[in-house]
Amino acid sequence: MEVPAFVQNWNPITLAIPFFTLSVFAEMIHARLTGKTRFETRDTASSLIMGLGNNVSGIIFGLLLGGWSVFVYENRLMDISFAWWVWVIAVFLDDFLYYWSHRFAHTVRWFWADHVVHHSSQHYNLTTALRQPWISPFTLKFLWLGSAMVFLGFHPAMVAFVGAMNLIYQFWIHTEAIKKCPAWFEAVMNTPSHHRVHHATNPIYLDRNYAGIFIIWDKMFGTYQVERDDEPCRYGIVKNLGTFNPIKICLHEWMGIVKDMAGAKSLKDAAMYLLAPPGWSPDGSRETSKRIKAKWQARQETAENAEVEAAE
Amino acid sequence: MSLIYLLVGSVLGVSAMVLINAWLGISRSACLTDLEDAARRLDADRVGFDAGDGVLAVDGEGALIAERSGDCLGLLIARGSDFVIRYLVPGSVRDAVIEDGNSVRLRLNDFVFAPAKLRFETADEAMIWANRLSAFQPAGRS
Repeated sequence: MEVPAFVQNWNPITLAIPFFTLSVFAEMIHARLTGKTRFETRDTASSLIMGLGNNVSGIIFGLLLGGWSVFVYENRLMDISFAWWVWVIAVFLDDFLYYWSHRFAHTVRWFWADHVVHHSSQHYNLTTALRQPWISPFTLKFLWLGSAMVFLGFHPAMVAFVGAMNLIYQFWIHTEAIKKCPAWFEAVMNTPSHHRVHHATNPIYLDRNYAGIFIIWDKMFGTYQVERDDEPCRYGIVKNLGTFNPIKICLHEWMGIVKDMAGAKSLKDAAMYLLAPPGWSPDGSRETSKRIKAKWQARQETAENAEVEAAE
Repeated sequence: MSLIYLLVGSVLGVSAMVLINAWLGISRSACLTDLEDAARRLDADRVGFDAGDGVLAVDGEGALIAERSGDCLGLLIARGSDFVIRYLVPGSVRDAVIEDGNSVRLRLNDFVFAPAKLRFETADEAMIWANRLSAFQPAGRS
């Protein structure tokens, strides 16, 4: 099958780098002028070094992932062309798979160990978008979720292209500078407001808004949460890191998993440390997002009941 | 060769962004207003944290608040423009050493928590809290 020239010649992410850079400068100037966006020099440095390392890792692991894609494509279910309507389907299907991959990245500790890097900043600005992991292939997600479209018959170059477009779309939503977009846009698309919720650790916001480009998946699968004026976002992770060291940012959760599994009292516990949601422990001494949300919900209800009783 | 240009360009771009971030002076150090502010943050971080007695660092860049049940000691430390929180239980503390008379240098048994310095009003206060922190060292080390 002949690959269109623009797919062969253009790397969307490489082309987007000047846009990324200029946007970060613009947001910093916005922060300086309005004080509405927060930056911290060491946090910015960490995020950008993580982004740079992610690119280097992409080059190093690229051969492995490319080889795997070629192998899967040689064993595809059907032939799918590069027709314009195939591109439309590819964008939606890629985003649908992204939603599930992202959801698993938050609910399975093995995958969280990789994705936590992106959430480890307590700031929310455009540099946070570039804070990306270095050893993603260790999740082995490329063997299944990452290969699903290629196995169906979409050309690997097309899958890589739409995947890159998805990542580029997600860059601009990592900002506090844009409060809300037009209502029709907020209803369908992922926006800064929706994604702020995703990065927040407030119990009501935990494990919500997994969308890449289209917020409709969250609405369809029950994980949508609107940003509330009375609940300002607190960014980061449940147990925030006390370091800006990129190596520690990259490895901390992997090391936690290894330590927990090594100390597990049974094979089942060891497997659960790897596959259960982050925060799981055999004795329940740690807290999962679900438990944190339940405690918060119980307190809200108690407070509401007290208010009703006082009013009566 | 283009790959090398791309990497060199990226390193230069990253350096420029970090330098401009510093030059613009947009980083602000986190600062607690009072002990109530610290307790509010602990309660927001861990639903139901029942604050007991505590102490605020003189520069507002840290605080220690005991949970009323005595189960743990809530620690807030400024890391840049935000706070990092830890709930110290027996075994959490590597060491808590008095420095410069009225400061405590705290190290935790926590891979990602860089050493922290808490500045107190008096040397006596520093001593009291260093002892309380040392009680959270692993058994046999305090």
